Amino acid sequence: GLAAGPEMHFGFQTVTEEERREKIYQVFESVAKKYDVMNDSMTLGIHRVWKDILMHKMNPCPGTLLLDVAGGTGDIAFRFINYVNSVRQRQLQRKLKHHQNLSWQEIFESYQKDRLNSLGDSQVVVCDINREMLKVGKQKAQHLGYSEGLSWVLGNAEELPFDDDKFDVYTIAFGIRNVTRIDLALQEAYRVLKPGGRFLCLEFSHVSNPLLSRLYDLYSFQVIPVLGEVIAGDWKSYQYLVESIRQFPPQEELKAMIEDAGFFKVDYENLNFGIVAIHSGFKL
Amino acid sequence: VRCQHYPPLRALQASAALRRASDEHKKEPLTSSSQQHFDSPPAGHQPEQEPQGPRPSYTGQGGQESEDYESEEQLQHRILTAALEFVPEHGWTAEAIAEGAKTLGLSVAAAGMFHSDGSELILHFVSECNTKLSKLLEKEQKLVQLGEAEKKPIDEFLRDAVEARLRMLIPYIEKWPQALSILLLPRNIPSSLNLLTSMIDDIWHYAGDQSTDFNWYTRRAVLTGIYNTTELVMMQDSSPGFKDTWRFLQNRVADAMTMGNTASQVQSTGEAVVQGLMGAAVTVSN
Repeated sequence: GLAAGPEMHFGFQTVTEEERREKIYQVFESVAKKYDVMNDSMTLGIHRVWKDILMHKMNPCPGTLLLDVAGGTGDIAFRFINYVNSVRQRQLQRKLKHHQNLSWQEIFESYQKDRLNSLGDSQVVVCDINREMLKVGKQKAQHLGYSEGLSWVLGNAEELPFDDDKFDVYTIAFGIRNVTRIDLALQEAYRVLKPGGRFLCLEFSHVSNPLLSRLYDLYSFQVIPVLGEVIAGDWKSYQYLVESIRQFPPQEELKAMIEDAGFFKVDYENLNFGIVAIHSGFKL
Repeated sequence: VRCQHYPPLRALQASAALRRASDEHKKEPLTSSSQQHFDSPPAGHQPEQEPQGPRPSYTGQGGQESEDYESEEQLQHRILTAALEFVPEHGWTAEAIAEGAKTLGLSVAAAGMFHSDGSELILHFVSECNTKLSKLLEKEQKLVQLGEAEKKPIDEFLRDAVEARLRMLIPYIEKWPQALSILLLPRNIPSSLNLLTSMIDDIWHYAGDQSTDFNWYTRRAVLTGIYNTTELVMMQDSSPGFKDTWRFLQNRVADAMTMGNTASQVQSTGEAVVQGLMGAAVTVSN
């Protein structure tokens, strides 16, 4: 039997809350293996630039604890590790330049010591509700050689398995659209962040320019599901994806929801005229 | 202008880091006696601040509950003030701000509230120095009014004021050239220029300048030229106690005094300003 519950949208269909969660789980279960390939083909590789911009905006310093929710295949986590690594390298170089009169022995020793701490105690926890996505992520990490400072946790954004005041930064990239109760997810984000911590959300949003909007719609509804069928053998999942973007609240509405959860200095930045937006808020 | 919408619910949520004004046991210098707002004011809740008086209570965000909480701006000021002690080590950077946030018990991610090139930190510092200078000059003026001190001749007054202001840079002198170059970025010029002119204004005000004619402009231009050139000399001065800088300053002020109200004053002001700009360009290119 179907669980009774409030009516919600699943793409352009109307379903109950429970049904929605199940359907979304199935969507990602089936797309998991081809997720990255599909991202590249649908966005013509631009999603990489969006994620890079997100990382630059975050500008994490070594020692940052990041929670990446709905982080599935690890794109944000890997970028974080790379970024923090290079910042740390620069820090070490600057430190060495400062001490002009070291002996070779001292230089060697300090290099050894800092080598072991190449991330400067930074850590990223990738949390996802979907086992398949996590599996793909872990395989990718192994393949690309990421091991230090990285952990994978199965969990629900609406009910995170973490204590209060734990993380410096909380990110959710292209995931919040799939959360059934966005307000709960935002409250959880607020809870697990340290005071002063930052909430960052990268998500498809609304294009206000009418001409661009028409082209974007055309592309979304005509091209993407076809790509989905051809590349991943799954028309319906990509139909859902495109519809869910249209159903998602626009920039100002999401900003208001983030403020309702208690965040301050909430702001958003449109990328590509609003196709994608980065929302940011602080727990103050 | 983006409107922030504040539902009544917000007033009841306890802030994680914004503190009640009554909890504050630290005395902090008030930063808006010169009415500088280099942060873009958030729409809808700009607290009114009086130049002299107790810490204002924040009344922007709906409901009596939040009246005692400090505003975001005040928290940002606290973070920037705390960040200053890390500037000698990290420079005027987001890292210094992150360290400052850490000392206040906040996450390092709070540095994300500010621009990543450290502009706000520098502007905050300049604003704080200007406020300190104002207070100093006011104190001196009071002493003179009470008859406890002699009124200084104008050249000595200017010299002492500029020296006092420049001495505030000494703890940060190594990284100050970096700060100057950031202040010259087009984005920051309106704010930095604003701060500079109001400081010069202040000094002339306490020097007793009552002019209402063209003199008002020439006096400010002259003093700005003196200040800027002395600052640049100070960057490259390695003499003990910066005595070369103070001697340079003395000479410049003496020059200004002997010039009088003639056209040549205007011309050499122009020259001084040009020299100042050239010096700035040289410093930046170094």
